[in-house]
Amino acid sequence: MISSDPRPPAVTGHRVTFVRVLAAEWTKLSGLRWMPWLMTVTVVAATVLALVLSLFARVGTPALELTTSGHLAAQLGLLALGALIGSGEFSTGTCRSTFTAVPRRLPVLMAQMLLTAGIAAVTATLALVGAHLATADHQGFPALGTEPSQTLRISVGFVLQLTLVALLGLGTGALVRSPAAALTTLVVLFVVLEQFLVANPGPVADTVRALTPGSGTRLFADQTGLDDLAAGAGPELGAWGGGAVLAGWTSLVLLAAAYRLRRHDVT
Amino acid sequence: MRSTWVAALATVAVAGGLTYLDASASSSDPGFDPVRSLGFAVPFATVGLLVLGVLVGTSEFSTGNFRSTFVAVPRRLSVLAGQVLAMTVFAALVAVLAVGSSVLAILPSAASRGITPDLGGDGVLRNLIGSVVLLSGTGLVGAALGAWVRRPVAALVAAVGICLVLPMVLVLAADLVTDPLAASAAGGSSAPESPLETFARFTPTGAADSLLWREGGALQGVLVLAGWVVLPLTAAAIRLSRRDLV
Amino acid sequence: MIEVEALTKRYGTTTAVDGVSFTAAAGMVTGFLGPNGAGKSTTMRMIVGLERPTTGRVTVDGQRYADVAAPLRVVGAMLDARSMHPGRTAHRHLLALARTHGIPRSRVEEVLGLTGLESVAGRRVRSFSLGMGQRLGIAAALLGDPGTLILDEPVNGLDPDGVLWVRGLVRDLAAEGRTVFLSSHLMHELALCADRVVVIGQGRVLADATTRQIVERSERAGLVRVRTAEADALLVALADRGADVEVRTDGSLHVRGLSVEEIGSTAARIGAPVLELAAETGSLEEAYLQLTAGSVQYRSGRTLGGEVSR
Repeated sequence: MISSDPRPPAVTGHRVTFVRVLAAEWTKLSGLRWMPWLMTVTVVAATVLALVLSLFARVGTPALELTTSGHLAAQLGLLALGALIGSGEFSTGTCRSTFTAVPRRLPVLMAQMLLTAGIAAVTATLALVGAHLATADHQGFPALGTEPSQTLRISVGFVLQLTLVALLGLGTGALVRSPAAALTTLVVLFVVLEQFLVANPGPVADTVRALTPGSGTRLFADQTGLDDLAAGAGPELGAWGGGAVLAGWTSLVLLAAAYRLRRHDVT
Repeated sequence: MRSTWVAALATVAVAGGLTYLDASASSSDPGFDPVRSLGFAVPFATVGLLVLGVLVGTSEFSTGNFRSTFVAVPRRLSVLAGQVLAMTVFAALVAVLAVGSSVLAILPSAASRGITPDLGGDGVLRNLIGSVVLLSGTGLVGAALGAWVRRPVAALVAAVGICLVLPMVLVLAADLVTDPLAASAAGGSSAPESPLETFARFTPTGAADSLLWREGGALQGVLVLAGWVVLPLTAAAIRLSRRDLV
Repeated sequence: MIEVEALTKRYGTTTAVDGVSFTAAAGMVTGFLGPNGAGKSTTMRMIVGLERPTTGRVTVDGQRYADVAAPLRVVGAMLDARSMHPGRTAHRHLLALARTHGIPRSRVEEVLGLTGLESVAGRRVRSFSLGMGQRLGIAAALLGDPGTLILDEPVNGLDPDGVLWVRGLVRDLAAEGRTVFLSSHLMHELALCADRVVVIGQGRVLADATTRQIVERSERAGLVRVRTAEADALLVALADRGADVEVRTDGSLHVRGLSVEEIGSTAARIGAPVLELAAETGSLEEAYLQLTAGSVQYRSGRTLGGEVSR
C-alpha cells in the first residue's frame, strides 16, 4: 500500500480563520452585479423622495424632517439587500461549496453580518447626505437643525436604524432560505403592520406598535414626533428605547438563523 | 406551486381571522354595527393577493418552465393571454373566498349581540363587491409586474413600493402640506382638490378608495386599477414577443 | 483515507442510508456504484459534513471532517455541478473558496489550467454548459491539493475527450498516493478506472470488493446463448443439470449456471445440432444489474429486448 502523502504539496495554505472567511465573503459579495445597482437605486430613490416631498412641504418644516423623509424608500431597499444576501447561499446552491470549505459554518454567517452592516451603513449615510443636499437650500431652509445634539442623534439614529433593518433582513433570509419568503415576511412586519397600527390607534395598538421592529424608527424621530408618541397609550420608549426593541428583534432572528445553520443539514 | 397555495390559504385565513378579531373587539361598544368590521381586513388581504400575483407571474420564468411552455405553444402572446385569464379566475376565486370568510367572521359577534347583519344595507353591497374587484385586481397587478420583470424579488419590491410604500409617502406628503392658513385662504371646506389628492387617485390605493368609498368614484377606481394591470402586462407582452427566451 | 462505520441517515420515516460501512484506502480509486436514489450522494454529503448522520460515524484520515483545520487541504469534494452562484464568474468562485484557506491566487490560475477552463474563467457560471460546470467543480476540488478526493458523478455531461481526461486524472491522482472516491451509475466507466467498487442499493451496501472480484462473480453467473434445432430437448436436458434456462422469442435459449463447455457437451450428448453457442462475457454491468435488481428505486415499466417467456 502506498503511503498516504508522498507527493510534495503544491499548496502550503494555512487553516481557515475568520479573517480569511471575511475576505472570501467579500470576494463573493463584490462580484454580485445587482449589489451596486441596488445600493444606487436605494440612495437615488431616497434622495428623490426627499426632494419631491420638500417641493410640497410648507414653509417652516424642520429641515431634518425633510432629510429623513426619504426613509421609506431606503428601508425597502435595505430590507431587500439583507434578505438577498442572507438567502443567497441557499437559493443558488452555493451553500454546498461554501460549507464544505468552512464546516464550522457560523464564521460565514458572522462575516455576512459584518459585511451587510458595513454596506447598509454606507448606503444609509449616502442616502442621508443625498437627501440633505437635495433639500438643504430649498425655499431657504436652514442647512441643519439648530440643535447640534439633536441633529447628531437623528443622523446617527437614521443610519443605525437602517443598518439594523438590513441585519434583520439578513437574519430572516438566512432563516427561511428563500428571498421571496423573507421579503414578504419583512414587508408584512415593517410596512403593513406599521401602517395598520398607525391608522388604528388605541392602547393595544400603541403597545404593540412599541414592541414591533418598526419601533426602531424612533431612533431618528425629532422631538415633536417623540412627544406625540409619548402622549399615546403605549409604553414610553424614547428614541433609544425604540432602537433597543429593533436591536432585540434583529438579535433574535439572527440567533435563530445561527441555530438553524449550525444544527441542521445544509442541502 | 406550493407557495402559491400557502399564500392563497394565508390570505383567506388572515381575512377571516382579523375581521373576527375586530368584530369581537368592538362588539362591546354601544353603537356596534357588525358590518362596519367587514372592510377591516381588506388591506391585509391586499398584501396576500399582491404576493400571490407576483409568485404566479414569475413562476414560469424563475423555474425555467417557460422553455417547455413556449416550445409547446410557439405563439407566445396567446400563451400570455391564457395565463392572464387563468390568473384572473384564480385571483377572483381567492378574493371571493377572502371576502366570504370575512362575512362569516362577523357572524359570531353579531350573534352575541343579537343583531342580524344587514348585508343589503347602505353601501355594504358596494363594499363587498368592490372588495372582491379590488382584491382580484391587486392579484392581477402583482402578476402583471411579475410577468414583466420576471425576477420574484425585484417584482415584489416594485409591487410593495407601488401599492404599500407609495400611500405611506402620500400620507407623509399630506402631513407636510397641510397648512391651516392655506386652507382658509382658499375658502374653507369647499377647497378645490389639491394636486396631491388628484395624484393619489391614480395610485392603486387611491383607486381602491374611489372604488369602495368615494361618491360616484366606482368606475374611476376600476379604470385606474385596470390601468395598473394593463400597463405592465403590455410591457411584458412586448418583452415576450421581442426578445429571445433564454 | 475515508472510513465509514455503520452510517445511517433517516429523514422522518424514510431511511436514505442504512448501516453503510466501508473504507476507501489511499493510493487507489474506489468506485461507489448504485442506481439513482440509492444513497450515494447522501453518503458523500455526510462525509463532508453537509448532513449529519442519524447514527454511525465517518472519518477522513482519522478525523471528523468538522474537526479538520484546513478542510480543503485534506478533502477535495465535487458534489453537485450546480453548487455555484450563476451570476458569479468561474474565477471569482474559485478565488472566494481559495481565500477561505489563504490559498494563493496563483493556485486558482493553476487549477483553471489543469481543468482546461482558462479561456472561460472570466465568464459567468450561468453561461456554462454542463460539462464546463463539471470541470469547474473538479477544479474546486483540486484547489487545496488534497490527499483525498470525493467526486459525485464526475463524468456526467462530459464529452468523450472530457471522459478520457477524468479517467486519466483520477488514475494519476491515485498513483500519487491520494485517496480517490468517486460515484457513478455508469458501470462501464467504473470498470475502466476503479480498483475497488462498493455497490450500494436502497441505502445498503450490496458488495464491496475489487473490480476484478465483482466481475469474476458475475462470470460464474454469466449468460450463455444457445441456438439449436431441438430447443425443447436441450431445454429439458439443461434444466436437468440444474441450469436456469430462458426461452427467447427468436427461439434461442439463454442459459445461466453452466459454462460454455458444459452446455456444448450436453447438446452433443442428446444429439441436438448446435447452431450458435456464445458466452456473454461477465461484466461489471451484468454484476451490477444482478446485484441491484431487487433494489432499483426508479424502474421504468418496459423491459429491454424481446419478450421473455419461461
